[in-house]
Parts: sequence; C-alpha cells; structure tokens
Amino acid sequence: MTTAHRRLIGYAVRRTAFALVLVLLVSSAALVLVDLAPGDVTAELFAAGLGPEAIARERHRLGLDRPLADQYVTWLGRAVRLDLGTSLRYQRPVRDLLGERIGNTALLGACALAVATLVGLPLGVVTGSRRGWLPRAVRAASLTALSVPPLISSLLLALLAARTGWFPVGGTGLAEAGPGALASAATVAWHLTLPTLALALPFAATIERLQSDATAAALAEPHIQAARARGVGDGRLVWRHALRPALRSVAAIYGIIIGTLFSGSFAVEIVTAWPGLGRLMYDALVSRDIYLVAGCAAAGSVFLAAGTLASDVALAALDPRLRQDAP
Amino acid sequence: MTKTSKIAVTLVLAGALVAAALLARHWVGGAPAGRAAGPSRGGELVATNRSEPTSFNRYTAVRSTDELISRLTQARLVRIDRTTDALEPRLAERWTVSDDHLTYTLFLRQGVQFSDGVPFTSADVVFSFQAAYDPSSQMAGELDVAGQPLQVTAPDDHTVVLTFPSVYAPGLRMLDGLPILPRHKLVAALREGRLGEMWGLATPPAELAGLGPFVLAEYTPGQRLVFTRNPHYWRRDAAGTPLPYLNRLVLAIVPDQNAEVLRLEAGQSDLMTSETRPEDIASFRDAAAAGRLQLVDVGVSRDTNLLWINLRPDAKLSPARRAWLQSEDFRKAISYAVDRQQFVNTVYLGAAVPIYGPVTPSFGGWYVPGLPTYPYDPARARALLAGLGLADRNGDGVLEDRRGDPVRFSILTQQGVDTRERAAAVIQNQLRKVGVAVDVVSLDQLALIQRFGTGDYEAMYFGVETTDIDPASNVAFWLSSGAFHFWNPGQPKPATDWEARIDELMRRQVTTIDLAERQQLFAEVQRIFAQHVPALYFAAPEVYVAMSPRVANATPVPARPQVLWNADVLAVKEGGAR
Amino acid sequence: MTRALGRLVVVLVVVAAAAAPWLAPHGSSDQFADYLNAPPMRLHLLDTGGRWHRPFVHPLRLVDRLESRYVEDDSRRVPVRWFAGGHLWSTDAPDAPLLLLGADRLGRDVFSRLLFGARASVGVALAGTLGALLIGVLVGGLAGYAGGLADELAMQAADFVLILPAVYVVLALRATMPLVLEPARIFVLIATILALVGWPMAARGVRAIIAAERRRDYAAAARSLGAGHLRVLVRHLLPAARGFLAVQATLLVPSFILAEATLSFVGLGFVEPTPSWGTMLYEAARNVRDLGAFPWLLSPAAAIVLVALAVQLATAGDTGSGLLWRAGPGRARNLQID
Repeated sequence: MTTAHRRLIGYAVRRTAFALVLVLLVSSAALVLVDLAPGDVTAELFAAGLGPEAIARERHRLGLDRPLADQYVTWLGRAVRLDLGTSLRYQRPVRDLLGERIGNTALLGACALAVATLVGLPLGVVTGSRRGWLPRAVRAASLTALSVPPLISSLLLALLAARTGWFPVGGTGLAEAGPGALASAATVAWHLTLPTLALALPFAATIERLQSDATAAALAEPHIQAARARGVGDGRLVWRHALRPALRSVAAIYGIIIGTLFSGSFAVEIVTAWPGLGRLMYDALVSRDIYLVAGCAAAGSVFLAAGTLASDVALAALDPRLRQDAP
Repeated sequence: MTKTSKIAVTLVLAGALVAAALLARHWVGGAPAGRAAGPSRGGELVATNRSEPTSFNRYTAVRSTDELISRLTQARLVRIDRTTDALEPRLAERWTVSDDHLTYTLFLRQGVQFSDGVPFTSADVVFSFQAAYDPSSQMAGELDVAGQPLQVTAPDDHTVVLTFPSVYAPGLRMLDGLPILPRHKLVAALREGRLGEMWGLATPPAELAGLGPFVLAEYTPGQRLVFTRNPHYWRRDAAGTPLPYLNRLVLAIVPDQNAEVLRLEAGQSDLMTSETRPEDIASFRDAAAAGRLQLVDVGVSRDTNLLWINLRPDAKLSPARRAWLQSEDFRKAISYAVDRQQFVNTVYLGAAVPIYGPVTPSFGGWYVPGLPTYPYDPARARALLAGLGLADRNGDGVLEDRRGDPVRFSILTQQGVDTRERAAAVIQNQLRKVGVAVDVVSLDQLALIQRFGTGDYEAMYFGVETTDIDPASNVAFWLSSGAFHFWNPGQPKPATDWEARIDELMRRQVTTIDLAERQQLFAEVQRIFAQHVPALYFAAPEVYVAMSPRVANATPVPARPQVLWNADVLAVKEGGAR
Repeated sequence: MTRALGRLVVVLVVVAAAAAPWLAPHGSSDQFADYLNAPPMRLHLLDTGGRWHRPFVHPLRLVDRLESRYVEDDSRRVPVRWFAGGHLWSTDAPDAPLLLLGADRLGRDVFSRLLFGARASVGVALAGTLGALLIGVLVGGLAGYAGGLADELAMQAADFVLILPAVYVVLALRATMPLVLEPARIFVLIATILALVGWPMAARGVRAIIAAERRRDYAAAARSLGAGHLRVLVRHLLPAARGFLAVQATLLVPSFILAEATLSFVGLGFVEPTPSWGTMLYEAARNVRDLGAFPWLLSPAAAIVLVALAVQLATAGDTGSGLLWRAGPGRARNLQID
C-alpha cells in the first residue's frame, strides 16, 4: 500500500467520524428547535374537540410536560444506541416509520439518478465533442432545465398529467394495484414516472453540462490531440480515449447528487403525493412530532453526509493536488 | 303517555322536521344510484383519505381518521341517523326511561358476535364504559354529564342500565360516540393500566375485533387501509340479506387534495372522505353531466368558521387599544363593514349562504330565522367607529384613536386552509374600506392553537367541526366556562351580564326534557348571541359530495364522513366494474 | 450575444421592479370581486363596428361563477388612460380594471402583483445571494489559504449548515419575534437567513480552488516578491474563483426566490400587501387542476424561470462551468427541503 493510499484511507476514516458527529448534532438541533417552536403535538387534539384537562393528560402521557433538557437527554441516551424513540403522533417506533419511507424515497431517488445519468451523460459527451445545431439545442435545453426548480417542474408535469390523464398523480399506486407482484410493479412504475421526471430533470442538466465541459477539456489534452494526429477515428477518440478522464468530474459530484436525491425531496414529494422521506419530514414538522423530526433529520443528514463524504473522497482520489492538503 | 313513548314522539317530530329540511336538497347530477333494483352483495369501493390513522384504539385516538376507522369496524349501542338526526337503535334494540329521566334501561340485541366469533353481551358494554372512564382514555369528557360519569350496571347478559347523575336532555345521543369494544381482548390490559398502549398501529389486524360492518385486513402505512366484510356482522337489509353489501373497502391515503381529486376524476377512486372544494365543483358538475361522476348537493354545512376578537381580560393589549378593540360596537362595525354576499362569492365561489350566527339553516329545528343582524352597511360601520372616537385624523385613509394611534389589528388564521386564508384576505380588504387596517398572519394549526391557549393574539379566524346539532352537546362553546367559548374561554364567572344570561338559559336547556321548550330556550340564547355578536359569522358553505357512478345506495350528508357514515349499506352498482 | 440578452433581461427586471408602482395599473392587493380568476384582457384598437380607437378594453362579464367563466362585454369600451394618477396605464372605471395578465383567486391583478413581487423576490434573492457569496468567499478563502485546523473547522461548520434543515431554525426563531413585522424588517431578515443558509456550497468551492491555486507558481512568486497574505489572497487567488462564483450565483438566485416562499410556510415570509413570486406560486400550486383552467396563475413560475435563465446567460461565457464539479450542484437545499 502506498503512502498516498494510506493517506486517503486515513482521510476517509477521519471524515466518517466527523460525519457521524455531524448527524448527531443535526438531529439534536432539529429536536431542540422544533420543541422550542410554538405549539406541540397535543394542540391538534384541541381541534378534535378535546378540553384542556384531556390535553394536559395527554401531554403528561407523552412526557411533554418534562423539561426540555430532560427530554433531550433521554432521547440522546437512546439515540446513541440507535433507538430513535417513538413517534408522538403515530405511536410507533420512529425507526419503522423511517424504514417505510426511506424505501420509497430510495426507489424514487434511484430511478431519478438512473434517468439523469442515462440522459445527461451521453448528451454531455455529444455536446462536448461536436458542433452544430444539435449540441446547441441540447445545451439550450440544459440551461433551461437548470433554471426550472423542481417545484415548478413537478407542478408542470402534474398539470400535464391532470390535463391529459397520461400519468397518475399521487401515491405509489399500490393502494389500487391488482394482485400479483408483476401488476404491482407495473403500477408503481407507472406512478413513478412523474416524480422521477420532475426530480431527474435538473440533475440530468447538471450532468450534461459537466460532462460536456469535461469532454471538451479532455479532447483538448495533448495526448488526445496526438492520438487524433495518429489517425484515431473521431468516435473512438471520444468514447474510448476522452471518456474516462472526463468521467471524473461527474464521478466527483455523484455522491452529492445521491445524497440529495436519497434524503427526500420536499417539493416533488408534496406535489406528486409520493410517500417518501421529504413528505414524512414535513408532516412531522407540522405536527411537532419532535422524535420523528429528529429521526427524519438524522436519516436525511446520513444520506447527505455520506454523499458529501463520497464526493470529497472521490475528489481527493481523483485530484492528488487536493489530497495533499485534504483536511 | 309513558315517558318512553313521549321521547319517541319528540324524536320522531325532530326527525320529521329535519327530514323536511333535507327534502329541500337536490341532486345535481346523476340520479341517486341503485334505488330501484335492490343492491347486490360483493364488489369493492376505494375511498381516499388525506391523513394517516394514529391508532386503532378509538378511546385514545380522537382524530377524524381514527373516528372513521372506528365507524367502519366497531358498532354503537345507538346511532344518530345523519339524514334525520334522530336516534336509531343499533346494538341496543330498544330502551326505556324512568319517570325521573335519570335511568335508562337498554335491551341489547341477541345473538350478536364480534368479528372473531365471540358473543357480544352486556359485559362488553360495561367494560366499554370502564375503559372510556379510564385515565388513559380521551372519551371521558364526551360521556360526562355535568362533569360526572354515568353509572352502568348489567342486570343480565342482554340488559344494561345507565344512571345519569342529573337530567340530561339529549339522553342517549351521547352513546353515538362510544364504540363498543371486545372485553375478551382488552380486559387484561385495562386491569394492568395498559389500555392506552393497546391497538396501536403496529397491532396485527387479526388481533383486532369489533362489531362493525368491516374488519381491518391490512394497513400499509402511507399507502392504504383495506377493510373486508365482517362475516359476523349482525345487520341485514329489508330483504334479509346480510350486510354489508361490499366485500372490500379500501381507504387509500392520499395526503394531497389535488391528487385526491385527480384520482376520483380518473376513476382510480370512488369517493373522498371529505367534501368537495368550491373550485372543484364546476368540473365535477361537468363530469356529472357526462355521467362520469355523481355530484350531490347535500345542503348547508354545519361546520362554520368564525372571526372573534380576544375578549380575555388578560389579553396583552394597551388600555387605549382595549377600549375600542374589545368593545361591542367595534364588532358590530365589522359586521356592518363586511359584504357577506361578496364574501360568499370570493371565498366559496358563490357556493355558500350568508350567515350571522353559529346555527346554520341545516340545524333543523334548532335554527331560528329572523334573528337581529348587522348586515352590510358601510355608513353605519363608519358611524359606529366614529362613536368609539376613531377618526382619520391625519388623512392617510386609516382611522386613528384619540391618542393618534392607528386603528390596526391582526387576524390570525390557519395556514394552508384555502377558505380560511381567503376569508381573512376578504375581511382585510373590506375593513380597509372603512378605515380599519388589518394584518393577516397565517400560522400553522399548532402555533395558532398555542396562541389561543395563551391568549396572546388580537383576533382569530378559525373553526371547528360540529359533532351533533343538539346544542346540549356544544355547551363548551355556549357556556362562559367552556373551553370552546372562543373569545373568552374558561371564565371562572361570567364576564358580562349577557354571558351570565346565556349560561343560565343553556343550563336550563340541557336539563329540560320537552323539545319545544328546549328549542324556545335555545332560540333565546341565539337572540342574545346575535345582539352582542361575541363572534362574527359570514358564510356557511354548501356541501357537495362527489362519487364515482359505481357507488350505489349512498345517502351523503353535510357532516364528515359524508358518505361512509353509512358504509354498511353502500354497494357497487350493477355492471359497475372499474 | 446570448450574454448581452441575459444581461438585458436582468436589467429590465430590476428596472421593472423599481418602477413597479408606476408600471402597475393597480395596487398589489386591490381585489376586484367580480373578476375572480378572470382571464387576461385583450387590448383592442378596433371596435365591433370596425372603427379605430386608441387602445381600449372591454369589461368582462361573469357567465358562471363556479367555473369563473367570463365573456367580453363588447357593448362597452373602456379606454386605457395613459400617465394618469401616477400610473403608466390604467382604466377609469372601477368595475373594469385593466388585467393584462388576468386575475388571481381573490380578483387581484396578476400583472401588478408580478411587478410588485419582483421587488420582494428578486431583491431578497439578490441580496441573499450576495451575502451568501460574501460569506462563502471569506470562509472558503481563508480556509483554503490557511489550511490546517482553521480549514478543517471551517469545512465542518459548512457541512453542518449544509445538512441542518434551516426551516427548523426559522420556525423556532419566528416564535421569538413579534407577530406582525414591518416589510423592511422582513426583507432584511429573509436576506440574512438566505445568506446564512446559502454560503457553505460557495465556501467549499472557493476553498477547493484557493487550495489548488495557492500552490501554483504565480502565487509563490507574488509571495516571494513581498506581497502580504491578504494581497495575495485578494489580488491573485480569488480571481480564479470568479467563474465558480458566477455559477453559484446562477444556482442560488432561483432557489432563493423559491426559498422565500418556503420561509412564508413557517411564518416568515412577505405578507399582504407585499406579494412575492414564491408565495404567488405556492398559492397557485394549491390547486393544480385550476392551473389548467387559469394558466396565467403560473406567470410567477415563468418569471422565476426567466430570471434564472437570464442570470445564467448573463454569466455564461466566463463561467468555466467545469469548475462547478468542485462544489457540486448544491442549491439552498437545506432551506427548500428539495
């Protein structure tokens, strides 16, 4: 093992430790802040017609009448043992609730990632290596897509679905799916289309832009120019020689994209009613379900921290200059 | 005439009154399905519901979804027929009342079994009351009479005797809210003080048992609840066919109302568990005309929104502000300043009626037409404001009080509820025209309720659901000591003479048996309320219920759940395959 | 060419925002009760009889209130008045407002609201972006230049801010403030929050660039020629991050415009009578189906995309967007939860 390797591993280990502390800090902060926010989970019972005595009883039962520090210490003691407590609103372990939603969000995230990569990468190679109207059109489309935030793209797609009825809006479709795994899978895939597109669009554009620039830069490198001079064909030049070095830039941000996708998109999940992590976090926030909020924050930050970490490590691995002074 | 028959007669009379009122409602599109041919058994309906349940234990879970699940899976001793508002027998076949109106003897239906096949007896009823009065339960408040619990005894397996602590006019109506739970499943938990933990969402459906038309077969969090026919359900239709007609009822959880509507329109669901939004009525109407939906106008809502000004003595207001903000004339000026027809048009797109008080025309015999009102008249609003010493002293279009401070107050309302936010904007706009500046602050529900609890606000626009039209079940609103006496809740003793007068009338109203007399007393309460306008009412929406053409035998009503309250007789129309 | 176009659009939007009270025919919260969801009015020159006039509109007449369906009442001509009452254009008749982009659900003029909204939205987004970049440059620059412990701490802090969902902070913070806030105070608060939330991505990128550039020959040369640390950092190293910062700006501006709306979700947004594009869009998004019937309610979306695109084009040439990969495609993710 070379010194460089060892240094890289040491760096990764150190960053992982930091990331874990970060996750704990973020979820703690979320819990404390939401507890400080006005209103608590039992206020909802008032709207359901319950009087002050009944609400006071419920607060006591849930332990909300204890001092904040007390509640926090109890939670922390459990959290370090990976027990995230019980949701105040649903009266179920936070871990179970998270498990269900992470699956949905991960499915959506994986599809969006696949679409973004399969669309963005080849287009980026093409626009980076060719001239003419097509690359220009793709570039214009990319710039436009980058300017459309997910909230707007999901709104437009939902509107399209509502007008045409081509795609369903809302849920995973499992509620109405016919029997059989195949039918379920088909229904879910059909329901996935809309949120996937909304989510994938800006990332496809990002990947396309990056890959395009990287390809152009790679093609300008002396050794590729030399290969061209030797008479290596254009297609071979682009897809064999320039692709590998050019992939590095996309690889470096892949971690962050994954982290972002897998921590749940609020806008897309709300507009398309996809039951994922973003939606759960929003519901938890609105109902002041402090333990669920902390759990969601933890889950989200695990993905984000892992994504950032992966990116940084990839960056350090790919760019020796950065590794030398990597923190 | 015995007491029982007298009550029966009054109930029938009340029922007839409401039925007459309900006859006025009309079907907008699609004929009421399935009336001609007898409904057939089988099939499945899909309903969409916006929120998740919080528990399968209705005694600890009070949110609307929990109540809906309880209505589907459990049964009551008696039930309020939502179309007539009359009491109808359920698990109790019939009942008698003692002469002093304190003791009710209920005779239970024989041969009834829980969904797991265990026979239902009076022991289950006694157990249910015990559980309801358990500290872990949220039911107790609903079953207390004047703060006291009922005494429950069971002389034999099929008789239950309820003893009221004092005369309570609505009598058994309160039992509509008490689902009967299986003693054999839960009695151990009650003894060990674990009742509150029982039947949480993680409970395998097979462990639940009930007397309702359906049993829970599957719960996939975030997705759906599937109910299947309870094979032991005891009700039969007129032809002797065992109910429910449906094999399956799916409650799909769709948190977003847009998605709910799109699913209904696309034929992916058959009904929604909430009423139609005003802005959806037009397209549903077109779909109904084309035969793709059924749309029913079920009449004026009983759930109203109200604007009230914080009248609490501990409200954080400077003395100068308090002088005008808490005055009766200021409230009357607001009433004069708001054009209710424009309010109806803007907030509800015209699908509402202007109102001036909490009792809307759909309250049957309790509604009193012709009460004093303060209708739209900006000139009189200005005159009243001038009388309070409020005038535009610096010519900026906003009034100032005597000290030169602008007449400006904030209205808190609930974020994300379109009709409330729109209503606040309309009130803001209309008050601006008479020189009163309003800041609208939208808060999420919990922050809003927290503000209400601490009294740290100036005015609020909010509303709650009405569970029963009988005013005796809404005393928490009317009594000055009540928690829902919004403008000044929980008063140790009435702050004003008129509140004392309402307290007195309401107390008599609750303990008076004669219906006509009760209605007279309540009319007087409403008259005092209308005179002093402690809270301002502007409009009550028309409730529209939309269903797919497949739904047969539905009798939708204004109150939630509009269609599923009668789930055991719902059916799928012949040839109504999806 | 495209760059000039982008800059032109940005300038136009800023000018339109500044001149909103004069350009807008109506006040931002004037409600026209009989014009709920009214469609955009057409400016006519030719009347039904085929005669030419100065620009005029026909008032709309409600046909179906539930559907918000209107027809032009061509029996009446309402001339557009120019330069009257402090407005560029307006109409005289209170029952016939000039609705160039239609009306929203409360009967308010969308065009006027869009103009007034530009002040809040573009203003706060630009201020927030500026602040975020400033902090980012400061923290990232120092971290990249100093290296070592300072670097490590700064980057951990950046990660923390990046991952902490800021809505929680704002939710708790809001409770400590008075219920009703002055619009100016809201502006400053929102811009500050956006800046505090948006800096980490900029800081990470700047740090990476500075750390790499520091080792280049020219920096060492400048150092050996006796230039101070600050001078080297500001004069020689930071210019290398210019392209990257431009890219960051193009990403932050549109995401901040929407983030403002997210903040109003937790009670810290602009309230009537100050509209913003974000809140207009959220109001429109409440009912997706309505958008099909009243597409003009989507005009704030168009405005946001237009501004985002313009900012991108304006900075297109010198972005060197290859640098983007050093920092990743981060937006104000933690604020928008998207």
